Amino acid sequence: MNISEVTERISRKLEAKGAQPDRQKIESRLRRLVEEFGVNLAEAERSVTADLAREYKVSGLGNTSTELRPISEITPGEWVTIEGKVVALTPPLSPSIAQSGIIADSSGAIRFVTWTRSNVPPMEFGHWYRIESAVVDVYRGAPNLKIHSGTTISRLEEDAPLLPSITPIADLKPGVGSVRAKVIQDWEVTNDRMLQTGLLGDESGIIKFVIWKDEDKENLEPDTVYNIYYATVDEYNGRLSLVLNTAMYIADEGDIEVGRNETESRGALVHVAQGSGLIKRCPVEGCNRTLSRQNYCPVHEIQPNFRYDLRIKAVLDDGNRARNVLMQREIVEKLASITLEEAIQIAETNPLGMDEIFYRIGNAVLGRYYTCNGSEFGGRLLVNSCTPIRFDPGELAALLNRAGGEPA
Amino acid sequence: MRSQTTFEREPARRVFAAEFRETRYQFKDGDDEKSPTYVIFPTGIRSNRVFIVGTLTEKQRQGDQNVFYRGRVVDPTGTFFIMAGSYQPEAMQQLARIEPPAFVAVVGKPNLFTTQDGNCLVSVRTESITVVDRETRDLWVLDTARSTLDRLDAFGTTDDSRKAMEEYGTQVPHIYRKIVYDALTQVQM
Repeated sequence: MNISEVTERISRKLEAKGAQPDRQKIESRLRRLVEEFGVNLAEAERSVTADLAREYKVSGLGNTSTELRPISEITPGEWVTIEGKVVALTPPLSPSIAQSGIIADSSGAIRFVTWTRSNVPPMEFGHWYRIESAVVDVYRGAPNLKIHSGTTISRLEEDAPLLPSITPIADLKPGVGSVRAKVIQDWEVTNDRMLQTGLLGDESGIIKFVIWKDEDKENLEPDTVYNIYYATVDEYNGRLSLVLNTAMYIADEGDIEVGRNETESRGALVHVAQGSGLIKRCPVEGCNRTLSRQNYCPVHEIQPNFRYDLRIKAVLDDGNRARNVLMQREIVEKLASITLEEAIQIAETNPLGMDEIFYRIGNAVLGRYYTCNGSEFGGRLLVNSCTPIRFDPGELAALLNRAGGEPA
Repeated sequence: MRSQTTFEREPARRVFAAEFRETRYQFKDGDDEKSPTYVIFPTGIRSNRVFIVGTLTEKQRQGDQNVFYRGRVVDPTGTFFIMAGSYQPEAMQQLARIEPPAFVAVVGKPNLFTTQDGNCLVSVRTESITVVDRETRDLWVLDTARSTLDRLDAFGTTDDSRKAMEEYGTQVPHIYRKIVYDALTQVQM
C-alpha cells in the first residue's frame, strides 16, 4: 500500500458519493500526515477520509468500518459500524463527555461515551441509531464504544423489538450483562450514595450487586426473582459485581434454585491465616464485620458490645494448587474439638487471650488432610462441610501396583 | 477470568527426601528483585514451597546472637534437613517447643546451598511445623507417592521435566519408581 493507491481509493469513495475531490489535495494531506507527522498510512487514510467526508458533507465513508457488525462480536482496538438501540443513559462523569450509556442490538450490548468535542447530536433513550466509525477501546476492563468527531450517527426509524439475551451469572464478563436472578441477600448499605447492595443468585452462581441512589431507582425485594436487563458488570480486584443503575429490572414469576456451585477440594491444610480463631464481630444488625483488637468496626466505630465467633481462614493445598478456604463456627468447632463457649472461657482466663485459641486451632488442623465441600465466592472456598481424610488400604494397594506394576 | 493482579499462592509440592536431597537446579522466574526463586526436582517440577510429613528425630539450637534451630525429619526414603531462624520466628518457636521424636508436618521453602568444594546442601526453610499423628504421616506417603508417579508419567513431556532430564539424566523414572515402591512398602496395611 502506498500513498497514491490510498489517494485513489479515497477519491473513488468520495466520487461514489457524488463529490469531486481534488486528488492532489488528498495526496498532499496524506503526505503531510505520513511524512511530517509519522502517522501510519492506515490511520492517515482514515483521518483524511473523515476530514473530506465532512468537507463534502457526505456520510457513510469510514474506511474499513462501514460494514455493519453485531455488537457481541466487536473487540477493543477496532473501528466499527453498528446499529443499536439506546437502552440506558447515565450521567456523564466528566464535562468532556456529552453522553454515556449503553447501546444494544439483538446480539449484545456495549457501553458508549460521546465526547463533547465530537459535536454529534445527542441520542435519545429508546431509539435506534446507526453509528459509523466509532472506536472500541477498553475502559476499566470492559469494552467501551467511543463516539468521536469522525463518527457519524444517524437515527433509524425502525423500532425492532429487542430481547436481551440472558447470561448465566457464572459466565458474566466485564461490560454489560442481562441476568435472571433471585435476591438472596440484602446487605446494609455502607455509603450515603448507595441505595441497596447484596447478593443475586441464579442456577450457575452468585454475584454482588449495587444500586446507587437515583431518582427513579427502586429497591429489589428480598427472595424475589428479577429479570435484569443491561446491568453494568464491573471488575474490581478480580471480582465481578453488577451495577443496576443502567438496568431495567422487573420482578418475575417463579423461583430459582440458586446454584451453590458446590465444589469439592482435597488436600493438606498448609497455612492458617491471621484473623482465624476467636474473633469479635460488630453487633450492629446486618453488619457482622470483624472488629479489631480495640473493638473498632470499619463502619460503626467502637463497639464494646461485640459478639464472639469462631472461624478459620486457611489454605488447602493439593500439591498443584493452593486454595483459600473459609470455615465458619460449626465446622471449626468440629475440626478443632472446641466449642465457642470453651474458646471464650479460655480466651478470657488465659494470659495469651485470643492468641491462645489461634495457636490451639492451628495445632489441631495444620498439616492434616481434609476434604472440603463448599461454594467458591470471591476467590475463596466457603466451606459447607469438611471431613478429615482417613487412611485407605485400598489406595495403598493401588499405588503399589502403579509403582511396581510397570516394567522398571 | 482471573486478572493479572490477583495473587496466587505457590502450591506446596510433595516430594520424598531421597528426591529432595538430589536437587541441584535452582532458577529465578523473572528479573525483578521480588521474583520467586524455584528449584526443579529430579522428577521434573518447579517448586518454591514444599509440604513434608515425617519424624522429627533431632533438633539443635545454634548460634549465639542469631539463634536458629536445625532439625532432621525422616521419611521412608531418607532425611530432610530443616531450619528455622529469626526470620521465621513463629516456626522457630514452634520447633523449639516440639520434643523429638515426634511426627511433624512441615511447610517451608526449599533452600539450596553450594559449599566451597562444590557440594550442594539442600534444606527446608520452615514456615510452619506442627505435631501430627501417624495416620497423617501415612496419608502423606500415599499423597507423595501419587504426586511423584504423576510426575514420572509426564516425564519428558513438560518444560520443567525436560529441564530436569538435562540436569539429572534420563534414568530418573527408573530410579524414582523404585524409591516410590520402597516407600509404599513401609506403610502398614
